[in-house]
Amino acid sequence: MESYQYLIDYFENSPTIIKVVWVASSIFIIIIILLVIYLKYLRGHLRKNEKIVTKHQKEYESYLISYLYAGNEEEEISEEQQAIIDKLKSCAVDEFKRRIIVSTLLRLRNEISGEMAEAIQKLYFQSGLISYALSQLKSKKWYIVAKGIRELTQFHVKEVHDEIVNFVNHPKKEIRKEVQLYLVTLFHFEGLKFLDVLQTHLSEWDQIQLLEVLQHFENQELPNIKPWLKSTNDSVVTFALKLAKIYNQFEAKDAIMQLLAHQQKVIRVDAINALSHLQVVEAKDILKNNFDKLSLEEQITFFKLLENMYETSDEPFLLDHVTHINFEIKLSALKTLKILNIEKFKSLNEISDEPDYVKIFNFIEHN
Amino acid sequence: MSDAKKIVLAEDNSTLSRLLKFRLEKEGYKLLIAADGKEAIELIEQHNPDIILTDIMMPFISGLEVISHVRNKLKRDTPIIVFSAAGQEENIIKAFNLGANDFMGKPFSPNELVIRVKRLLR
Amino acid sequence: MNTSTVQIILLIIHLLFFIYAFFAIGSYVILAIISTIETKEYMKKNSFVNYKEIMSSTISPSISIIAPAYNESLNIIENVRSLLSSHYVNYDVFIINDGSKDDSLEKLIKAYDLVKVDFLINQQIPTKPIRAGVFKSTNPAFEKLTVVDKENGGKADALNMGLNISNNNYVACIDVDCLLLENALQKMIKPFLEVTEETVIATGGVIRIANSCIIKDGKLLDVNFPKKWIVQAQILEYLRAFLLGRMAWSRLNGLLVISGAFGLFNKKIAIEVGGYDTNTVGEDMEIIVRLRRHMEEQKLKYKVAYIPDPLCWTEAPDNYKIFISQRNRWTRGTIETLRKHRKIAFNSKYKSLGLLSYPYWLFFERLAPVIEVIGIIYFVILMALNEVRWDYTVAFTVLAYLFAVLFSIVAIFSEELTFHQYKKKGTGFKLIVISILEPFVLHPFILYAAIRGNMDYYFNKKKKWGEMTRKGMAKAKKNN
Repeated sequence: MESYQYLIDYFENSPTIIKVVWVASSIFIIIIILLVIYLKYLRGHLRKNEKIVTKHQKEYESYLISYLYAGNEEEEISEEQQAIIDKLKSCAVDEFKRRIIVSTLLRLRNEISGEMAEAIQKLYFQSGLISYALSQLKSKKWYIVAKGIRELTQFHVKEVHDEIVNFVNHPKKEIRKEVQLYLVTLFHFEGLKFLDVLQTHLSEWDQIQLLEVLQHFENQELPNIKPWLKSTNDSVVTFALKLAKIYNQFEAKDAIMQLLAHQQKVIRVDAINALSHLQVVEAKDILKNNFDKLSLEEQITFFKLLENMYETSDEPFLLDHVTHINFEIKLSALKTLKILNIEKFKSLNEISDEPDYVKIFNFIEHN
Repeated sequence: MSDAKKIVLAEDNSTLSRLLKFRLEKEGYKLLIAADGKEAIELIEQHNPDIILTDIMMPFISGLEVISHVRNKLKRDTPIIVFSAAGQEENIIKAFNLGANDFMGKPFSPNELVIRVKRLLR
Repeated sequence: MNTSTVQIILLIIHLLFFIYAFFAIGSYVILAIISTIETKEYMKKNSFVNYKEIMSSTISPSISIIAPAYNESLNIIENVRSLLSSHYVNYDVFIINDGSKDDSLEKLIKAYDLVKVDFLINQQIPTKPIRAGVFKSTNPAFEKLTVVDKENGGKADALNMGLNISNNNYVACIDVDCLLLENALQKMIKPFLEVTEETVIATGGVIRIANSCIIKDGKLLDVNFPKKWIVQAQILEYLRAFLLGRMAWSRLNGLLVISGAFGLFNKKIAIEVGGYDTNTVGEDMEIIVRLRRHMEEQKLKYKVAYIPDPLCWTEAPDNYKIFISQRNRWTRGTIETLRKHRKIAFNSKYKSLGLLSYPYWLFFERLAPVIEVIGIIYFVILMALNEVRWDYTVAFTVLAYLFAVLFSIVAIFSEELTFHQYKKKGTGFKLIVISILEPFVLHPFILYAAIRGNMDYYFNKKKKWGEMTRKGMAKAKKNN
């Protein structure tokens, strides 16, 4: 009791600043104690949650599998199946459970194909899960909208195409990305029509994802990519060039050659790469004549093109640049020359004693 | 009962393995499920199955190591079917080089799998 | 001297300390808040990302992993195996054996069927020459691997050789004993591909501490909380630094350092600035500052990005001697870098680099230990002169201590709500305990190491990298 009184006296008699400091300290201690208690609760809660999730997962797995094998020849939906549908409907009302049901359905849907996969899809519709995804599209929060679109993509819901197309130029890039994936996953090459109206930049990441999705389809019939090559949206042009390369769009060669004069250096370089891949011989002379005005990167890329498409008529050009100041160009020129005319190549042995030249020459000679 | 052929299935997707178990048991096979490569090897050593179905991408010990273990260490020629996700061509080639008999790319049809299992067990 | 003058002087000194402390604490709080906001956004955005396509795509950009190695014989085989088992498609691995005096090279040749090959290197950055040669494997399973044996030149020199030799567009500079998770490359490359207006010049990742974790065949099997206090305290320190500090700097585009243990760079730009500086022990920080400076001078829009996901696990020092040596080196590295680039200090031409990042690093990272030590000396003098106001001292010390503990606990929370790596029972309690102990168990040694670092920098120019004895990460038991 005495010491208690002493502390109070001490506190009252201290200058204000010390009072403030001790009050702050007490507040800190209280916060710390509260946080420690909350932390213990939080960890326990997270652990418990994991167990609950696992439990529900097993439960819904059983339902799903029973459903898939409970069908019979006579009816569209057997009694047993209907019972399961109703059960899932009632569980789906709770968001936590709904998420587990959806993820369980997806875990299976992604791994199997054929009539089983279609059956799972039907279940998604019948159990009413789809209505929740649809309502998410109307949310004000961007990540909920994006999640909704993603779910609809994963369950191949083509019916909402028109609603989703409205989001093509949405300000939030995560939503735009989900829209693009929706269109391409469900409508394959037809889905690429959004490129006609896309105003925003399509990042490399997005482009790669779309291309990968496209590669999985059986029917590889590409629509006309020429309009996209002329687009004012540079990223659409880049994407179209990738399409030209991967799908060997030789018909587009004129449009691609026009891109050799595009404003952006990256696109000019990409165009040279595409022309090289498509083996467009006409491009060689254009680039050769323009060579000195090209940027270094374009020059290097052009030499890579020559490695791919060399002819005897290119010999003088190669000879001219064998001692070019740039390492990669020297390498490329010598390499191509060796294949083209090995005697001529050997005669170039001593023409320069620049260390890089000597190094490159020796390496190519022996490999 | 002892006539039933034994299948060891190594697959870390529990939903898929339960589905396949259901399907294959309907055909009269006995299924032993492993969730990863380590469990798979234990089951194989213990029960000497008639056929092995394994995913390639699994935690800890991959399907490739399972195949290698069965062919090289246990020196058994049990038929092996591997599943793999798309884009894993390199792994499929490795699997065949190690001694796998057949492969199915995901997503696959469970009915198709049953046909292939029957074929390999004839 | 006049007593009132003395009083005024004392008051001014106290005020200065107070102002410094106020700004330091204020900045920690602001950074913590910004970090939390940024982490929340990141978690939301990342719940959508599908890394599956990127990793198996042949169009995904090509990455070279460059791992310098010096006397790493104990673990080198396992480490290389781990680097070769990444799930990315378009990558290769260069192990740069930096003049090791042990049998690292022999072990590698044997384990991976290596033969010497002819290799053309475009020497864009000067480095020490090749020693035994360049080696590749005859076994197609190890096609991605190239081992380069060169004369010793230090970590920076080895990394530069890697920059010269790689033919890919991006290089991942990594410590060879760092355990890289299988999806690390695709996560790290994402910022480079996602941006639209700016160029990403480098990405850094979070380094997690692997001590006591179970690692087998290059795979992380189990995450355990280590037993030693010194390691536990370092985990806490890393959590604070990464979750409450670096995320904020990333958002402000003010990151001055990417951990040398794992960073991904745009190769062309790294070579443009001349690669790593071999004359500093803080080459990881120095190159970032130089890269940023270069981009500012070129007036190009750029970003240094940061991924908070755990991607890389490495061993932390578990005894005080090595710990002090490491922190000593970090201190000298910071001083060297700040001195080398002092032109950008407070220079509005360098925008936030010169007006925000540099001053912050100068005052609150480089000078903090010095000011703290001055404070301690000052306090001792006051004690000797019997001028100490104990009521003030006790009150403020308690407050400072509680603030430190609170800050650590907030960091723990941040971790629980994001990546939740330490799931096992009892770890929560241990984390709280170490939050309470850390100011006693770690901080004094950090301070000591920093002072030694300062003294070594100014008076002892011969010190270089020091040694880190490899213990080998815990192996999984055969029969559980």
